[in-house]
Amino acid sequence: MTIPVEKVSGPRRKNKAEFEWTPEHIPEDFHERLFELEEKGELVVQRVDTEHIEVPVKYGRSKKVPIGHTWHHKSCGQCGHIPGYSTSIFWVNRKLGIEYEDPRDQTSCTAWNYYASATSNAAAQAAVAVRNFAAAYETGRFPIIHCGTSFGHYKEVRHELLAHDQLREQVRRVMDALGKPLVLPEEMVHYSEWFYAMRHEIAKHQVRDFSNIAVTVHPACHYYKLVEGDAIYDPEVYGGQRTAIVSEVAQALGAEVRDYSTWFDCCGFGFRHILVTRDFTRSFATQRKIKRMKEEADPDVTLTHDTGCVTTLDKSQFAAKAQDPSFATIPVMSEAQFAALAMGAHPYLVCQLHWHAADYRPLLEKMGIDHEKAWAEFEEATARLERGEQQYLTWEDADV
Amino acid sequence: MSPTATPTPTHADSAAYKLGRTYPDVPLEEKQRLFDEIKADERFHDYLYGCYECGICVAACPSARYYDFSPRRIAQAAAREDVELVYQQMQEDIWDCSQCFSCLRCPRGNNPGGIITVMREVAVNNGLESAKQALRGYTRIIYKIMSTGTQVSPDMLQADAFPDWGPSVAKVSQKLDLWRRALPPETHHTTTTGWEISTRTLVELYLIWHKTGALNMISELDPSLHSLLEEVMEDLLDEEGYELD
Amino acid sequence: MSETVVVIGGGPGGIEAARQVADLGAHAVLVEARERLGGTPIFANYAALTPYFANAEEAMDAMIAALEQRRRAQVRTSTTVTALSGEAGAFKVELSTGETLDAGAVIIATGFDHFDPGRERQIYNYYQYPDVLALQDLEAQLKEHKVVVPSTGRAPESICWVQCVGSRDRNIGNEWCSKVCCGIASKQAIEVRKLSPQTRAYIFYIDMRMYGYWETQLYWPAQEQHHVQYIKGIITEVLERGDRLVVRGEDTTMGRPLEVPMDMVILSVGMEPSAGTKAMGDVLGVERNRHGFIEVLNPPLDTVSTTRPGVFACGAALGPADLEDTISSAGAAAGKAVAMLRADSLAVA
Repeated sequence: MTIPVEKVSGPRRKNKAEFEWTPEHIPEDFHERLFELEEKGELVVQRVDTEHIEVPVKYGRSKKVPIGHTWHHKSCGQCGHIPGYSTSIFWVNRKLGIEYEDPRDQTSCTAWNYYASATSNAAAQAAVAVRNFAAAYETGRFPIIHCGTSFGHYKEVRHELLAHDQLREQVRRVMDALGKPLVLPEEMVHYSEWFYAMRHEIAKHQVRDFSNIAVTVHPACHYYKLVEGDAIYDPEVYGGQRTAIVSEVAQALGAEVRDYSTWFDCCGFGFRHILVTRDFTRSFATQRKIKRMKEEADPDVTLTHDTGCVTTLDKSQFAAKAQDPSFATIPVMSEAQFAALAMGAHPYLVCQLHWHAADYRPLLEKMGIDHEKAWAEFEEATARLERGEQQYLTWEDADV
Repeated sequence: MSPTATPTPTHADSAAYKLGRTYPDVPLEEKQRLFDEIKADERFHDYLYGCYECGICVAACPSARYYDFSPRRIAQAAAREDVELVYQQMQEDIWDCSQCFSCLRCPRGNNPGGIITVMREVAVNNGLESAKQALRGYTRIIYKIMSTGTQVSPDMLQADAFPDWGPSVAKVSQKLDLWRRALPPETHHTTTTGWEISTRTLVELYLIWHKTGALNMISELDPSLHSLLEEVMEDLLDEEGYELD
Repeated sequence: MSETVVVIGGGPGGIEAARQVADLGAHAVLVEARERLGGTPIFANYAALTPYFANAEEAMDAMIAALEQRRRAQVRTSTTVTALSGEAGAFKVELSTGETLDAGAVIIATGFDHFDPGRERQIYNYYQYPDVLALQDLEAQLKEHKVVVPSTGRAPESICWVQCVGSRDRNIGNEWCSKVCCGIASKQAIEVRKLSPQTRAYIFYIDMRMYGYWETQLYWPAQEQHHVQYIKGIITEVLERGDRLVVRGEDTTMGRPLEVPMDMVILSVGMEPSAGTKAMGDVLGVERNRHGFIEVLNPPLDTVSTTRPGVFACGAALGPADLEDTISSAGAAAGKAVAMLRADSLAVA
């Protein structure tokens, strides 16, 4: 089933007015409490004080997304297993002439482990979060969070720190011992929100035509379900009734966004399941998501914006196909990789698609990319490393 | 299911009895103590109000589609303070949850996924059999995250660990060092961690694990992992001139 | 002491209150913001009234005609109350037309608004899918004696009602039961089954709240004669699959998640304090309760006196109410208002 873009873009009903939030029906904004505690001297709020873009979030509110001067809070899964994800984020920043920092003074949010094994507690989780925020604060740069789970978990941590005096006190004592302030950023910003904010700028730099590319979108649960307030909802996309994240970037790049009936379903990651109970993950990802997308929308690619979702949706397809050869696979990538490809990024040197499992080559062909030639270029570049001519490939090497 | 599970009732008004499985070897006082530990968590009262069984949490739940698992039953048992049933769920249900938090749609404002997080913490803290079983095969990941500050590392991509992911894993693991060096971001050349983390940062992380009691949580669950981690952390803290109280 | 009672709101409650004030021998001025009387049953296109299936338009016309026969009752349409001064027995009521009325008492009968499904936290896509309707949207069809899927123009093979939309929800902030939706959904399901016998009808509910006679007026006949399927469990998502909708919920009786294709989904939207109720709270200086409806002073034995002496309220301005409650409380408000005007003459020496 094809969903016309105008349907994705707004209410199809002609007899109903578009829905708008009225002030009296909007829940409380966490900022009030945040600034109240700042005023009392209980914590430091890192402000978005550089050039930024206001993006629409739930309840008709808006949020500030800094353009540059950012501190990239990386994701374990992205960097470890699908490195084209973070590489593409950095590459797009560089291509747009925006400077950023890729810090070494950053740990994982450790929430993947927490949601998988519960071998941690609220104070430890909050201290890990605040330590990272303080590390960003010390550089004067604003944190941009790559992982959907980190983003969601940090929103949860923020809620708990604002709500529970005892926890705040406990975390403050830990921070004192580390010689760091108790810092919370004014806004929690996910990298996909930066892509949303920059979508028109990215489209201006587009060199590949995606008008014949059909995509489906999987929004990450922890992005918009876990503390639902500060996720992007755009009145122009899905009538403001679903998060516009990823979908709007794909649209801005000229791709056709198609709907499917399990859009709101989780990917099946399960935190512990992906590592130790993968039969559940595989079944859910392939039967509830990939198969439905294929049957109902037949996309060229499915886009998402979180480590866990890309991994789950991508890697689970092999077993489904091995079991049933008629199982039709769909390539999976982040919208950052998709946007980088639109801007002319190299599929291997930048987007690192060789780390992905589901066959992406038909997609590259449809995008007009000669993947055989591109792979030869990658092999040639890595051969230089093997010959010891250089130890690492650089950003200059990535743009052939 | 633990080998001690039997259909013998120990507490006649418990729904656990009606569902046919209880743990008679575990005294009621112990079950009560564990429940009290759950209830004492500061988050618990934010996570549970009451339940009128609308089923929204189950409808949104991925785990309910594949397991005999129900976030609604979790909320109900906790609200009824049915310590037998809560104990049974801690042994048999909580590790099925996907922690996706789709259940936050609850119109009553409950957070069944959050209740489960707390129940799991208590299960870990007390070294419950279900926690040991659920985390079997997961130990190396706890070690990785606590000791390195990143959860999964490139060198975990081994074909024998992910046979169901197909040949792409073997391809990556064969070329791992080369392909990591081919990554343009300078922090990405690592193979044993997701990215390069500075020593000072790691020291700070270790201090957090110590000072918040997170490290001690696994002492019951996995004593050998606990002492191994303790050793690794103390070595680095020593080296960097930190003394623990 | 003025002999006039100003009644605000020209729906069933206001019409009944004005009629009773007149019948008790006082003067009533009924002020209605819209251009005609009839209120929500008329403006939300109700077909048949719950639970007796009376034709809504005919029933309201009869009420209005009965009021028009009362010499002591006057009507001001396209008019709102803009200010209230003075005190019980000697109020000055200012109207948007510039007129000022002397009144001994005031009755608020400003009713409710339907909950807007755009605010729903479940995923119902009311604004996105043409075949997702609210109760009043289906009423408009039933009024024309038809039931059709908006996107196809054909009768639905299957239709369902989703109960408690915008009611009993802490996150939305509407922590009340709207009382009537169970009955209205059942009434509509009976009407749909009569109009289109081949249509399968389902009602997804948390608790079926069928007070008193509604049990045998609506619930049992819907199940027993019209084979409406009642499933305990609420829908959380309405999405499209192919040309049809698919609803996702839990069948809590069976304890399993369910997913069923539907041609039409009717959201049983609840009641909220109307814009008029909220505005009159401020204009008249009466308190509203934490739910936003008009606060009554001494429930349960006085259901109509507000926090300002001489000002009474009735019907859904006080909180969710069915028509029978509304008419009863309108009578109580009229009685108390007129009794108050006469208080001096009744005083025992």
